[in-house]
Amino acid sequence: MTTKTTTGLSLSRRQLLQGGAALGFGAATLGLSPAWANPWGQSNTYPQGAVEGNDIALAIRRETLAINRRNTRPITINGTSPGPLIRLREGQDATLRVTNLLDEPTSIHWHGLILPPAVDGAPGISFAGIAPGETFTYRFPVMQNGTYWYHSHSGLQEQLGHAGPIVIDAAEREPFRFDREHVVMLTDWTFEEPATVFRNLKTAEGYYNFQERTITDFLADMRENGFRETARSRAMWARMRMSSRDIADVTGSTYTYLVNGQAPEQNWTALFKPGERLRLRFINGSAMTYFDVRIPGLKMTVVAADGQPVQPVPVDEFRIAVAETYDVIITPEAETAYTVFAESMDRSGFARATLAPRLGMEAEMPERRRISDRGMEAMGAHGGMDHSDMAGMDHSDMAGMDHSDMAGMDHSNMAGMDHSNMAGMDHSDMQDDTSPGASKGDLLPAGTAQPGSQYDQAGIGIDPDERRILVYRDLKAFRPWPDRREPEREMEIHLTGNMERYMWSFDGKKFSEVNGPIHFRKDERLRLVLVNDTMMEHPIHLHGMWMELENGAGELIPRKHTINVKPGERVSALITADAEGSWAFHCHLLYHMDAGMFRVVKVS
Amino acid sequence: MQRFSWLVLLACWPAFALAAPGHQAGTQQPDEAEVDRVIQIEASEMMFGPEALTIAPGETVKFEIHNSGALEHEFVIGDRAAQEEHRRMMQEMGGHGGHGDHDMAEGEHGGDMPAVTIAPGATATLVWTAPEGTSQLQYACNIPGHYEAGMVGEIDLQG
Repeated sequence: MTTKTTTGLSLSRRQLLQGGAALGFGAATLGLSPAWANPWGQSNTYPQGAVEGNDIALAIRRETLAINRRNTRPITINGTSPGPLIRLREGQDATLRVTNLLDEPTSIHWHGLILPPAVDGAPGISFAGIAPGETFTYRFPVMQNGTYWYHSHSGLQEQLGHAGPIVIDAAEREPFRFDREHVVMLTDWTFEEPATVFRNLKTAEGYYNFQERTITDFLADMRENGFRETARSRAMWARMRMSSRDIADVTGSTYTYLVNGQAPEQNWTALFKPGERLRLRFINGSAMTYFDVRIPGLKMTVVAADGQPVQPVPVDEFRIAVAETYDVIITPEAETAYTVFAESMDRSGFARATLAPRLGMEAEMPERRRISDRGMEAMGAHGGMDHSDMAGMDHSDMAGMDHSDMAGMDHSNMAGMDHSNMAGMDHSDMQDDTSPGASKGDLLPAGTAQPGSQYDQAGIGIDPDERRILVYRDLKAFRPWPDRREPEREMEIHLTGNMERYMWSFDGKKFSEVNGPIHFRKDERLRLVLVNDTMMEHPIHLHGMWMELENGAGELIPRKHTINVKPGERVSALITADAEGSWAFHCHLLYHMDAGMFRVVKVS
Repeated sequence: MQRFSWLVLLACWPAFALAAPGHQAGTQQPDEAEVDRVIQIEASEMMFGPEALTIAPGETVKFEIHNSGALEHEFVIGDRAAQEEHRRMMQEMGGHGGHGDHDMAEGEHGGDMPAVTIAPGATATLVWTAPEGTSQLQYACNIPGHYEAGMVGEIDLQG
């Protein structure tokens, strides 16, 4: 495997110098050592190499390369997969020349970057894509800072490792301090061709799950066959401790989960000196996998979400949806190794890295948690769709279930099922005014959490009593964002799907079935309401404009490029439609996007 | 023993009325007339400037702490263990709402900790005499997450 390590900028030292100048207090008069003498800035570590500067060339190839010590055919960027770290500076004019050496068209989308539509990189929307043999030059001013990533927006190429991290160094001091930084990019690799994965999903729903279709089906089976029989037929996945029920539709049965391109056995190791403050830049560059991330023995203080600074939140664990990024600060004090443990949300596998003062050290791996069980909570999702089935469910049967028979099932989760939620489901909410552009008087004030949102819940399969887990409610900006207008109108979009046929859509229509784009009026202040009618999480991504997630933080709502919507949940975001042009809007689960959970947003 | 005498000393001095509105340092502070040196501190997100201080044992210092950030901050002096204890307490309090009563940090390890809270844009002062017999203290903001994100400085008392 080709790995090269390039030293990045002495970011922190420069930051410190800038910070020192900004303070306006002469450090020297206070009898301190000079700022430049501080052993502050340390290089970035990213094993796939780094490129930086005003003119960056990227070559896209399909070539043979080892992943987890096994030769395979990923798409590489400058010879590695995932690609090199692209390091930019806030305020610079970036020039990125992308040469397509594949035998099919390709593209690169700069995920989370605010830039003109022609260089956004979504083929068929704002540009034509990059033909084989062609070099496309992306030129744009870099107007933000933080942790982002890039990936192909063509077909299923992203699944082949056509992705990499972006770090943009800040023009001004960031609202936290650190001595050293590491990029932690999580991806899901499969040795199958992505087209095969997609075909498998299409032809046999649950192909990678070894499980039944839905809770409703499970209960129906139970009514017909009795619990014992039904449970027996599920014994396979139970024994394998595979994902239960639609938590992820592509799982560890085909995926190898990677940290910076390295499999768990390869154990990518990041170094630190005890007592140092480390900044870890987590990027979920997966095609399909949500991860739950923790570092046993260390508190992580979340300082940025989707590249944007947030008021620091000390946590033990965070869930990172596909395409999200989180920056955390940790301070390992001991001369010991720590495991960075990223379990896939469905518990079918994990990615792993080590933090250590020296190479070759290793920490214990935490015990893997049992499979998550969608349980009754996801039934909320069906409330709006399938009332008859809901009504038909025999709750008394549930109570009478013979728990002793449930060999492989996760009893604790069963016990933890929130039946009260079921009862408390607000059906009236679901029949709420769904027409876009409801009269202004009815709108909630900006920043208010929608009824039906679950911002204080981390989601399925993690126990908030066991450790402090980051939730969306925790995310608060430092200052209000520039546009403080109330929303002029609301637009409600339903996340919809038919799992059996692997059809994913917005408002019940696949991308191939819609007539024309979603229209945002130029410069309007809009509230986008997302209602998840499915039983899965969906990470919803808008190109070209920030979404200010209305998590109840009032004026200090956080800015995001990707919003996770849990099953049955209703969330909202404020958008300033200031970016004229056509933009992609989609679920960032790759196969969902490809299946049709995709729209064009036109701002004019 | 020396530490004990310092605490007694602090306790004997008359309270000093502070200029910053909405807060008052709970520890009885040394008289301003005793001040040997004025040290300006800038509190912002998420750091103090300067990031380290050298102060002689017995020296009486007047800190003028300006909050140039967007959030409320505190300036608390204590040893590492006391800061940690204070941090744990504040975490349990569930953040930092209703700050009016929070004047004193009472860590179990460090005893009474001199502390002030500074609203965004405000300047607060704290007069403090460096103790004898301690080599290292910290000034910190223990509002959840702030210390971890960088709001801590070291006081070298080696003299």
